[in-house]
Amino acid sequence: MSLDLHCEMILDEYRERRATHERLQEVVTRTLHRIVEDNHLYVTAIESRIKTEKSLSGKLELKGHKYATLDDITDILGCRIITFYTDEVDKIAALVEKTFEVDWENSVDKRKLLDLDRFGYMSLHYICRLPAAIYADPEHPELNQIRFELQMRTALQHVWATIDHDMGYKTEIEIPREHLRNMNRIAGMLELADEQFSRIRMAITDYRRNVQSLVADGDFDSVPLDGDTFRSYLELDPFRHLAKRIALINQAEVFDDNLMPYLQVLLQLGFHTLGDVERLLRNSSDDAYQLALHQISGTDLDIIALSVTLQNLCCVHVLRQGSGVLGLEFIFNALGGNTEANHQRAERIFKQARKINICK
Amino acid sequence: MEVTIQTQEGKTLVTLNGRIDTTNADRFQQDLAPLMQGDKPDIEMDCSGMEYTSSQGLRMFLMLQKSVMARGGSLMLRNMRPQVREVFDITGFSNIIKIV
Repeated sequence: MSLDLHCEMILDEYRERRATHERLQEVVTRTLHRIVEDNHLYVTAIESRIKTEKSLSGKLELKGHKYATLDDITDILGCRIITFYTDEVDKIAALVEKTFEVDWENSVDKRKLLDLDRFGYMSLHYICRLPAAIYADPEHPELNQIRFELQMRTALQHVWATIDHDMGYKTEIEIPREHLRNMNRIAGMLELADEQFSRIRMAITDYRRNVQSLVADGDFDSVPLDGDTFRSYLELDPFRHLAKRIALINQAEVFDDNLMPYLQVLLQLGFHTLGDVERLLRNSSDDAYQLALHQISGTDLDIIALSVTLQNLCCVHVLRQGSGVLGLEFIFNALGGNTEANHQRAERIFKQARKINICK
Repeated sequence: MEVTIQTQEGKTLVTLNGRIDTTNADRFQQDLAPLMQGDKPDIEMDCSGMEYTSSQGLRMFLMLQKSVMARGGSLMLRNMRPQVREVFDITGFSNIIKIV
């Protein structure tokens, strides 16, 4: 690769400033991680790179005359944030605008550049500077002057851009028309998929909000039983009263364990709404307590898990339905997998339940 | 209570023998101390020789379970005698600790 004197001077400047660019890369990357974490955003990746000498030489060879000095090349340091959803690109962009000094004249929203009948590489590119308010080193004031490029895109936009780059075509003119058309079709599909993912996420968020409000209002019969709704229901701590009653048998402490594994059991037992669970609690708490009383009184056990409440409620439910040992075994198998011990446990509880007239 | 700990192909095999009650719970806690260290522990406890556990013993198992989970590992209790298993069942502890 042969460069003219002007380009060689820019290349020398690049070599001299290598350490400064590395320092800038470190500070900018750290800042990007901080703003993502502080704002509870989930991103797939935060990447950065310093342009290699080979890549810069190639750029200078092609269009070196455009640049008076190294400062005119704004992507010596390039950073990239890859998000899951399109709306997160906008959120990140807003945070970047607040955090860094954006050179608007040279920043590009490629998402807005495409014609109505075109698809393709869509990404938000900001040219930024590091403000002294974020980081200042009196010995290296140039850190606040050097511009760097910050790309923000979704994971699917990234896939598109990476594959498009891998094809090796620098301009659309080079690409055979048929391949260009196929690439554009895929780009359109990815854009649609991106949009759908965002819509689905928004719909799920709305559903969760709606469910939380129904649960908070106690409108349990309107709430289907699923992972989100059961979690919201558990936040109301509905089993605490029964747990305290059982704990009083031996003045025991209650260890708050995870009740979510019981969701699967409740669903398999045919519970459809939170109202069904609420009725189980209301109608079977006394029997669940009696079962615990029979099991625990006379022992010196002074610790119980919160889940003993749901465990006994489910046992009472199957026994009242007349499902007997098989029903009990079904619960234990659903919770911890099939074992011989589950059968013995089911037989033991069935005998205890018969003594206190819980069985149908 | 007698505790023996062996390591075999990345797995920690623990054998428990005897009773865990208020008289030896502190000792049991000390015996478990080596299991409270290291990343992603894979612990299997053979409980066939465990004759009884009191609430204190349950608390020790709970402490170990929490420690193992916090380190991204797994704890499994095997071959429990029926009368010991019953203690885990009626307290709900078999919902917390994996027992096979």
